[in-house]
Amino acid sequence: MFSEKTVQTLRFTLKTSLIFLTWVPVIYTFNEHVCYISKVEGSSMKPTFNPSSTKSDFVLLWKWNLKPNLNINDVILLRSPINPEKIYAKRIKGLQGDKIQTRYPYPKQSVLIPRNHLWVEGDNIHSIDSNNFGPVSNGLVIGKACYIIFPFSRFGPIPDGGRECRESKLRNFNQDKESQVV
Amino acid sequence: MAIAENIIFLKSTLSWTLRAGCFIHFFHSNIYEFKETRGESMLPTLNFKNDYVHCLKSYKYGRGCEIGDMVVALKPTDPDQRVCKRITGMAGDVVLIDPSSGSLDKYKHHDNRNNAAATAQSAATAAAETVKDAFNRYIVVPEGHVWVTGDNLSHSLDSRTYSVMPMGLIKGKIIAANDLNEDYRTWWGFRWMENTFVKETK
Repeated sequence: MFSEKTVQTLRFTLKTSLIFLTWVPVIYTFNEHVCYISKVEGSSMKPTFNPSSTKSDFVLLWKWNLKPNLNINDVILLRSPINPEKIYAKRIKGLQGDKIQTRYPYPKQSVLIPRNHLWVEGDNIHSIDSNNFGPVSNGLVIGKACYIIFPFSRFGPIPDGGRECRESKLRNFNQDKESQVV
Repeated sequence: MAIAENIIFLKSTLSWTLRAGCFIHFFHSNIYEFKETRGESMLPTLNFKNDYVHCLKSYKYGRGCEIGDMVVALKPTDPDQRVCKRITGMAGDVVLIDPSSGSLDKYKHHDNRNNAAATAQSAATAAAETVKDAFNRYIVVPEGHVWVTGDNLSHSLDSRTYSVMPMGLIKGKIIAANDLNEDYRTWWGFRWMENTFVKETK
């Protein structure tokens, strides 16, 4: 029915695609546990991400050995505690044991972060963050955003942003200011 | 030549091991897992050791989970640990937190103090004390969260301690279990895990 050559081509195609299929789980595992390139949408991390609001940024997401590497001012992607199908990009503003000065929608003035929880905030003040839903568990963190990959004009490590809200640091800051005045 | 062949053989073995391992990992995290559970928190539904559960991962992130389902989830206060609990409250439900958290003695003591110093204490303080009472502490489960408890309430660390659990931590739903303490005559103690939630009827 088919010529010799067609059969050969067909067999080759089939074999190559099968071999490729066997590598799909490897790619999946790598993306799930080592690193991944992720698209960031929305304006909650303005001006760090999506300053133009027409295009979305792509970031390099590091996932390997995450737990000991979560520090203050790191940008992380986390599964939303309000809707588990959504993923938020936020900046860590408090670790376990920190006392946090909260912002408007939060019902209390200050809050102590429980064990293995984080306080996360968006760089933009109009953001749904820990001030709405409280401290989030470490287990919801998907990865740490390390570099902006695209657009190339802003390629490089992620700049700092947001406010300082740890009470211990705020007190130091106030004392420094007082001593300067005196 | 022999060395070259050995190297090729080694490479191919390693590569297939990697691919097979990653496939198993993919299968375990997205489709189905058969795993041992430990701990007393689910007695008498699950034995404290050597009990293996069949876990469907299509229910992860709480997709399609209902009240009364048994789920495997990451512990909010220690995500390295996985816990197996039953959902006893969905988003929007009003849950009595823990009637056993305050002992009866404490209840009495509060009452006495209130009576003795009723004149001195303002009504606001008395009201605050009442609210604190274990029998009167309720929580509305927020959106995207569930309330989970173990079946063995007296020996379980659950929502009564760490409060509501975000659905994002749910890894799967338990549909059946095998107690390997039993032998082959009972299919190694196979039984389906049923939803134990009973609707109130009037």
